[in-house]
Amino acid sequence: MSTLVPAIGFGIVTASILAVAGVGFTLQFGVTNILNLAYGDIMTAAAFVAYLVTSAGLSVWLALAAGAAFGSVFSVLLNRFVYTPFVRRGTRLFGMIIVTIAVSLIIQNSLLAIFGANFFSLQMPRPASVTTAGMVFTTAQLGIIGIAIAAMLAIHLLLRYTKLGKAMRATATDPELARSCGIATDRVIDLAWAISGALCGLAGVILVINVTSFTDTTGAQFLIPIVAVAVLGGIGQPYGAMLAALVIGIASELAAAIFSPEYKDVVAFVILVAVLIARPQGILSEVATGKEVAA
Amino acid sequence: MSETGALLTVTDLHRQFGGVHAVNGASFHVPPGRITGLIGPNGAGKSTALNVIAGALKPTAGKISYRDQDITGLPSYKVARRGIIRTFQISSEFAKLTVLENLLVAAPGQRGEALWQAALGKRYWRPQERAMVQRARQLLARFDMSAKEDEYAGNLSGGQKRLLELMRGLMADPALLLLDEPMAGVNPSLARRIERHLLDLSGAGLTMLMIEHELAVVERLCDPVIVMAQGRVISQGTMAEVRADREVLDAYLIG
Amino acid sequence: MSVAWQFYISTVLVYLGVDVIACWGLNLQFGVAGLINFAFIIFQAAGAYTAAVLTLGPAIPAAKGGFQQYVGGAHWPFPLPILAAGVVGGLLALLVGSFGIRRLRSDYEAMVMLVVSLIATSVVTNQVGLVNGPNGLALVPKPLASIVSLSPIGYQWLFVGITAGVCVCVYWLVHIVTSSPLGRTLRAVRDNEHAAAALGKNVTGLRMIAFVLGGVIAGISGAILVEFISAWSPGSWLYPETFVYFTAVIVGGLGNNLGVMVGALLVPVVFLEATRFIPQFGPPGFIDALQWIVVGVLALVFLWFWPRGVIPERRRRFPPAAEGEEAQPLMPAKAGR
Repeated sequence: MSTLVPAIGFGIVTASILAVAGVGFTLQFGVTNILNLAYGDIMTAAAFVAYLVTSAGLSVWLALAAGAAFGSVFSVLLNRFVYTPFVRRGTRLFGMIIVTIAVSLIIQNSLLAIFGANFFSLQMPRPASVTTAGMVFTTAQLGIIGIAIAAMLAIHLLLRYTKLGKAMRATATDPELARSCGIATDRVIDLAWAISGALCGLAGVILVINVTSFTDTTGAQFLIPIVAVAVLGGIGQPYGAMLAALVIGIASELAAAIFSPEYKDVVAFVILVAVLIARPQGILSEVATGKEVAA
Repeated sequence: MSETGALLTVTDLHRQFGGVHAVNGASFHVPPGRITGLIGPNGAGKSTALNVIAGALKPTAGKISYRDQDITGLPSYKVARRGIIRTFQISSEFAKLTVLENLLVAAPGQRGEALWQAALGKRYWRPQERAMVQRARQLLARFDMSAKEDEYAGNLSGGQKRLLELMRGLMADPALLLLDEPMAGVNPSLARRIERHLLDLSGAGLTMLMIEHELAVVERLCDPVIVMAQGRVISQGTMAEVRADREVLDAYLIG
Repeated sequence: MSVAWQFYISTVLVYLGVDVIACWGLNLQFGVAGLINFAFIIFQAAGAYTAAVLTLGPAIPAAKGGFQQYVGGAHWPFPLPILAAGVVGGLLALLVGSFGIRRLRSDYEAMVMLVVSLIATSVVTNQVGLVNGPNGLALVPKPLASIVSLSPIGYQWLFVGITAGVCVCVYWLVHIVTSSPLGRTLRAVRDNEHAAAALGKNVTGLRMIAFVLGGVIAGISGAILVEFISAWSPGSWLYPETFVYFTAVIVGGLGNNLGVMVGALLVPVVFLEATRFIPQFGPPGFIDALQWIVVGVLALVFLWFWPRGVIPERRRRFPPAAEGEEAQPLMPAKAGR
């Protein structure tokens, strides 16, 4: 029992990172219907940007902003100049997966080529420890939780109260209708990628703050739990993703505490496969022709 | 309610999606050797009923019997193997196969389709395939599509795809052909040609159940006619009888 | 030709043979049947482990000086371990196929299979008793080495001959499937499974046949590889390896057995081997990183310009009727159906 409560504490931190990353991923998926498997590597790249910032002696807050900005810009460009052209060319869903994996390999190995196969850390002041309710957090981790909450709040306000937010929700719910109503314009899609890209970059930086040392594959290793969060929460449903992040974050840390640390990722794997197979939310159609027949 | 002589009998069929009762207690029978029309306003449940009969959907309740055998709930490939072949409202060609290959796939009882048969090599399955190719070519000639034999099915025009859909269904040697709006989206002259083909087939003894929207077409082709509205059958009989039915008029005005 | 060159070329030929065999298996699953097996590499790995264990003999416990632990073990003579590897590949395909091949949208299916691949890597790495965990198996005896006494270079060429022989057998298998009505029906299922089912085809059963055959072939490719390089560890079968094979098949020509041979030549062999000749520059691992970047770029370029590959799927034509061939009656439907 004594190991479980701190595990829940770790789980909350992991859930915070997963929430930021997962909401970004699910927004991208919901608006453009692309499973962007390069997402984890963009996180890593943002982490390297943050690394460069802190190595130059600048504050970690600046590094967070730089990471988010990088993620935002890079994601918009990636969608504009790689993904969308392929989609317009008629590449089907599986072809797009090959495209995103190719991009993932290119990003990951470019980072490897540039920075080498070393482990890196952000230059940060050494954090203090705080103990509440039997769980131990460093101030950095509390910061991560705070950032996550702030980001989720910002997204909530965006989606509920702004025109852009409503456009994004409409596009995620019914892309064809949104397109024919002129809602899903290129501008809306660009902004959706910019926002989700910012979340991606932010998640990358807080991820490496939490794991203290990172390498070129760190982000990619986090990808499967992120996809699991997006799928469990329902594609394109950010609030579902937030909840799913809590579930998967805490469950995987508990599994690590109860069984062994190696099986931490397996929890996310199994949840992802189970959800995709059992109830992927409207993907497994009951009708043979692939659409609901109403007449 | 089993009618002697009926090829297909549907009894109290139900199919719901969530809260929507697409088919809500439909009962009808399809007599052999005729073109039976299935009509009704939008949302009447016609396509759903067809899909359930064909095995593409499972009914939530009810019974379907074919030649006095219960086929309720069978998966679509087993329904097809008994001789009930359906066409799709949206053309479902095998896009990366040629037109001729599309037809060959449909032929039943092919040698060389099982792994051990394939292993026996060309000498085992080639002769039968040659005969099937002949048959397919006759079919193509009949529908004036011989020139398109080696064309990829995905490259055909919309109307040609509808014809391919019909030809493929015929190649499968059906005892009962289920047609889901066979002339949807087809230009009028082609539609009239398809009508003539269907009449010829009916004359040769093929049983058909056809969903159709254009009542003029139904009048020319179908006898009997089954009218559905709101998931159930509200009338059946000849076109003239059904036309005079009060309930039918109400349904079409409302639906 | 100098012995060193002979060694190099014979080695490349064996690798080429292994990749060609693997690509034929993947082509059967993906090109012909349309199955997205993004866990492909684990079937090759299963075959490799099976062949290794059946050639190594039972594990020597650590107390007696053994340094690798694994389950099972036998001293089977060549070619039995290779056949067994095929069987294990097929059985694994049966297992994975029973839950992995579903009517999911294609990118979801890729994800499911990718995760299966990751789970497999995780399990094998962590359960050390299974096949010696992250260190893998080593010192696998070479087939026929004890029976035939040849010079090292002579043995290399013998192995090339063995590989070529296996290639011929596998080609026969994939050829009879793809050129027969079975192949045509598989392609129909690939193109439109609902229409195929509506014509009486048992879609699930047909897909299983393609998937299992692909698994058998993948297993055989793994066996040849492990018998050649005598070692096998999780590092040899990480998930990007599946991506390399997919790229090879797409570049070469999806659905065309000759095309994927070209793909196997171009991608795993030419592009990855060519970089061997570039003088080492940059920090260690730099060239490897560049290789992967090249593979990624290659995939993108080919998907953009030549999505159907170098040698695309053939259009099948049928010869005109010979004189005197009897025409079958067109109508009516057969009685008693």
